[in-house]
Amino acid sequence: MLRELASLTRREFLKLGRNPQAIFTALLLPLLYLLLFGQGFNINPTEFGDFTAAQKVAILAAYFRGAPNYYSYFAAGMVGFVAVTATLFIGANVIFDKLFGIFKRVRGTPAPSAAVFGSRLIAGSAQPIALAFFVLGLALLFKHIPGLTGLEVTASVGVLGALEILAAILLLSVMFATLFLTFGILIENPQMYFAAVNLLNLPVLLTSDALYPWGAMPHWLQNVSQYNPVSLAVNVLRETLFGSSVYPYGPGIYLLGLFAWAAVLIGIALVLVRRALRPLD
Amino acid sequence: MQPTQAIHAENLVKVFNGKIRAVDDVSFDVRPGEIFGFLGPNGAGKTTTVSMLSAGLRPTQGRAVVDGLEVGKEPEAVKRRIGVIFQESTADGDLTGRENIQVAAGCYGMPRAEGRKRADELVERMQIADAADRLAKTYSGGMRRRLELAVGLVHDPKILFLDEPTLGLDPQGRNGFWGFIQQLRKEEGLTVFVTTHYLDEADTMCDRLAIIDHGKIVATGSPNELKDRLGGDIVTIKTTAGAPDVTNVLSTLIGVHTVQKQDGSYRVKCANGEPFVPLAVEACDKAGAGVTGVTVKRPSLDEVFLEFTGREFRDEDAPTATDRAVMVQRVQNRFGGRR
Ligand SMILES: Nc1ncnc2c1ncn2[C@@H]1O[C@H](COP(=O)(O)OP(=O)(O)O)[C@@H](O)[C@H]1O
Ligand SMILES: [Mg+2]
Repeated sequence: MLRELASLTRREFLKLGRNPQAIFTALLLPLLYLLLFGQGFNINPTEFGDFTAAQKVAILAAYFRGAPNYYSYFAAGMVGFVAVTATLFIGANVIFDKLFGIFKRVRGTPAPSAAVFGSRLIAGSAQPIALAFFVLGLALLFKHIPGLTGLEVTASVGVLGALEILAAILLLSVMFATLFLTFGILIENPQMYFAAVNLLNLPVLLTSDALYPWGAMPHWLQNVSQYNPVSLAVNVLRETLFGSSVYPYGPGIYLLGLFAWAAVLIGIALVLVRRALRPLD
Repeated sequence: MQPTQAIHAENLVKVFNGKIRAVDDVSFDVRPGEIFGFLGPNGAGKTTTVSMLSAGLRPTQGRAVVDGLEVGKEPEAVKRRIGVIFQESTADGDLTGRENIQVAAGCYGMPRAEGRKRADELVERMQIADAADRLAKTYSGGMRRRLELAVGLVHDPKILFLDEPTLGLDPQGRNGFWGFIQQLRKEEGLTVFVTTHYLDEADTMCDRLAIIDHGKIVATGSPNELKDRLGGDIVTIKTTAGAPDVTNVLSTLIGVHTVQKQDGSYRVKCANGEPFVPLAVEACDKAGAGVTGVTVKRPSLDEVFLEFTGREFRDEDAPTATDRAVMVQRVQNRFGGRR
């Protein structure tokens, strides 16, 4: 099982390395969002008047849940955003591998379906995880570029905080990777796949608080977004980076929520995938 | 079944979507070490049969035993003993030939070093060593097929399934490919189950054949046996202009089944053409009809097919000799709502 998994995983990374355009595109999206979208919407409402220090804290708490400006708030949101967008294509890869007969070849071997699935999950999760750190690094870097706002970390992130961030990124990436991989295995043609993905993708991202300033969201959307897995992961990041005073729960609770989402979705996905990949069918 | 059979198919049936009887009660046995051909026009049910035998598709009814193993019960074990070359190309174009073989080796649980060694051997053997480190998408059609063969052989299978392996190859490529198969059989005693819709291939390359049409096997036997069942050879005799009619004379000769006169020549179906010729010439001479020409023809599989199915072997949708044809077909299969 391990040899099969190792061999197939190696294949995934070999293929990735052969496809620099895909890597470039994967990096381009967060780069553009961080460089243009985030900078374009960047406001600091405390600059629009003569506020006392206490007032400033209250305003920032209401708008950006304690982040010092929109950009910092948004940069944390982007980490959740890329976990979704960067896992899209791993399901598409399955579909293309089916079209090109590659999947059939693997299925013709005795390689266990867990290895077939696992190899793709490993490669498919590694990318959003790497991208998440790319996003964080880039956002931090922008602080040092004249004319750009960067991510300003206002809380002290200890080892625990770093681990919590890591766990949030990991859970979110693995969860979406599993989801899209399952779509790819169950669906036979690219059109259907992308239709399904968009149907899932946009609602998930747009009902999360990854991009909107918290204070600008209507109440009902705030309520909905609380249960959104992307929000849960992003909350962990924001609490850790900017302090948790305005959040009703600590990062541990959000991680737990995220874990529950992941467990349920991955559980369902594995049942479906097992059925679809069982030998002789 | 006798344990001596490499492949035993027993009343195999596959019904797709509850109505398409792609394979309809097919039974046959393949002996160890033989090249067994499955000949039939497009859509006859060849690929479906291969899939059922190679643990890719569960039969609707019937059973298959491969190398003594019940396919329905031990699909994984069967997969370890067989190599399958699918009708469509399955090589990963983004990997080199060598990497394709190594990944396949890993799928059989071989350690990496062993996979590397095996890949080195196989690229040598399949004569793709020079291109082994090039991406497979740059391979020509013939090289691709040889790579497919290398991948299918990576775990040293005892039985090889080839589904239209020469589809889309030019005659030279086809000959080359068959050279490898013959060699493998000779050197390793491999049993080969091969489907084809090329009559000439079935005739010259296979030890025994099953002819399949509309999901049913209509005849089984060696190419010669099948032809013999048509009643032997066809001897055409031409006589001098104005010679007397020798139809009756020829009909009375030993071994003759039928004699047809067609403007100045006689088409004689007889058991064995060659010894018949001197007898026929002598008889014609005696009857005062000088013989000006004789041809002896073994009936071809075309005629066999015609005999057993009542129609011409349809080959109108044979693909052109380009890789693209294979590609297009593959994409159509996929988008055509199969499955
Ligand atoms: N997955 C499938 N779903 C529905 N029909 C199929 C499927 N596979 C094959 N068929 C049908 O079964 C018949 C036999 O197909 P196939 O075995 O591919 O023939 P061959 O390989 O001899 O060309 C054809 O009519 C084909 O359309
Ligand atoms: Mg076929």
